[in-house]
Amino acid sequence: MGGRGAMIQLDGICKSFGENEVLSSLDLSAKKGEMFVLLGSSGCGKTTTLSVIAGLTKEDRGDIYIDGSRINDTPPHKRGVGFVFQNYALFPHLNVYENVEFGLKAGNKRSKRGGNKTEVKRALELVGLDGFEKRNPMKLSGGEQQRIALARALATEPECILMDEPLSNLDAVVRERLRCEIAQLQQDIGLTSIYVTHDQVEAMALGDRIAVLNNGRIEEVGTPEKIFYKPENEFVARFIGMKNIFEGKITALDEDNGVLQISTGNFDLTTVFVPSSVGTRVKACVRPEEIILAKPDRDTSVRSARNEIAGRITNISQNGPLMRVFVDVGGDEMSVDITRLAARDLGLNRGDRVLLTFKATSVHVIL
Amino acid sequence: MSSSFRILLSLIAGIFFGFIAIIITCLLTATSFAEFAGEIRSPEIISAILLSLKTSIAVVLLALLFGIPAAYILATKRFKGKNILDTLVDLPIVLPPLVCGLAILIAFGGQGVFSRFDVLFTVKGIIIAQLFVASPFLIRSAKTAFESIDRDVMDAARTLGASEFYMFKKVSVPLARNGIASGVVMTWARALGEFGATAMVAGCIPHRTETMTVGIYMHAMSGDISASVALSLILMSFAFTTLIVFKYLGTIGDGNLGTWGAEAQ
Repeated sequence: MGGRGAMIQLDGICKSFGENEVLSSLDLSAKKGEMFVLLGSSGCGKTTTLSVIAGLTKEDRGDIYIDGSRINDTPPHKRGVGFVFQNYALFPHLNVYENVEFGLKAGNKRSKRGGNKTEVKRALELVGLDGFEKRNPMKLSGGEQQRIALARALATEPECILMDEPLSNLDAVVRERLRCEIAQLQQDIGLTSIYVTHDQVEAMALGDRIAVLNNGRIEEVGTPEKIFYKPENEFVARFIGMKNIFEGKITALDEDNGVLQISTGNFDLTTVFVPSSVGTRVKACVRPEEIILAKPDRDTSVRSARNEIAGRITNISQNGPLMRVFVDVGGDEMSVDITRLAARDLGLNRGDRVLLTFKATSVHVIL
Repeated sequence: MSSSFRILLSLIAGIFFGFIAIIITCLLTATSFAEFAGEIRSPEIISAILLSLKTSIAVVLLALLFGIPAAYILATKRFKGKNILDTLVDLPIVLPPLVCGLAILIAFGGQGVFSRFDVLFTVKGIIIAQLFVASPFLIRSAKTAFESIDRDVMDAARTLGASEFYMFKKVSVPLARNGIASGVVMTWARALGEFGATAMVAGCIPHRTETMTVGIYMHAMSGDISASVALSLILMSFAFTTLIVFKYLGTIGDGNLGTWGAEAQ
């Protein structure tokens, strides 16, 4: 067993540290050439997963396959797995050239005549640090250090590369730039990659597929679209920031018009038809940015919207560049994200009566 | 801080520093330069100096050979009984050297487990005694240095294809080299100044097992103060040099390891 077209495959990996079970029967499969993102909060087992694949942590149970071969008993230095660490982990006693060259020398028993100049140069060019060869890596910026770490890993031409929160020690501007570069680089080389992060934005921007990890187990695997807009379960929905999750019961099914009615008890929702039956208990989710907020006295309602719910503002808070408005809708609370400009134009205040409108397609149903 | 308290503190500290300074001065002024120059030309003194240098250097080399692997294992591996080994390493540091000497004497003596090795009252015995007492300093210092290496850096080496030995050679030892160097300096200084265990194991045989410290003791006891003082002054100059080297190694501690790469520019 194992393999089946997957480049990296984990079957039922278990790992405990003392009493603490970090991975509980974890299955995972990354396809050749894909950027596979492991998304989860800290302590959910993301780093341990990478560590097990690289052979740096010994699993208690389960099998690891790379390109179809079981590598459980292969020592880390023979696995051909590149690793990029959160804190760069460059060799402080070596210059940039020697850092990148390290893997080429370590893997080769005989030293090549003329050294590895071409390979090192090519790797440094990939990350845009050609010409930095003689520099002391410890004197470079965090972004540059991580690029060197990336070049160092790529120079050995690994079968796959594992990245453990590579951008989380960098400031926002550098992080965004390097994120784009990593995405581009990964596409260009077509290298199978597993990328660990706790940052949804990063996961969304980078992942061909995303796996949401929780308590040492994968909750859901899917494309970014799927994970962010149509999560399969409540944990994933909450984790990726679906603020408005309501329990309800299906009250009407209309297959001809492609709609479905849900009642939460406090209000009704119309959503896109999914095969189910009346009376089924479901969870309905609406992303805060999908809701349009209006004052009831002004006619700004969007005609195509299928949901209109009246409520009263309970609180307004700043949420980055947006304003988050909390609205009481018959006993439930709904979060709505609107721009600052919109908030100012509407002149919103706590206690104001407002109308929330959103499309039926904006309501995601978790059966 | 009130001024009277400050005066009191200065006074107490002053008495302490004064006490040390006076004693050292007494030693420094106990002999004239001519007397000193005469003493250090005597064959017995020269042979004591050479013997001390020879044995202490042998001790450093042996300590490196056995101590570095021991330190590396203690610093990087997890195994049962590690704490016991760790304590065992530290034991010679806290044990009185006389006790260490007695233990060696028994082990290598007529009924001892190592009785077939003929080391008592020989130079080999001196080396064993000094090694026993001094090598823990190297192990401790090297262990701390190995422990302070970022685990991710070692893991990075592994994922880049480095075998455990390659990593040890190219990453761990180079990164721990300041700690190892401090350990070497301390071990050497300790071996050079070792008296109790040495005297127990090798006795005080003029010329044959007479190290500098043994010489100081023998000459002082026989009333030849000027020979004792001459040896003491030389020992002191070694100690002083050691102290300076050690302080220098401390200032280029692990925090500044990064500057090494800069030298390559």
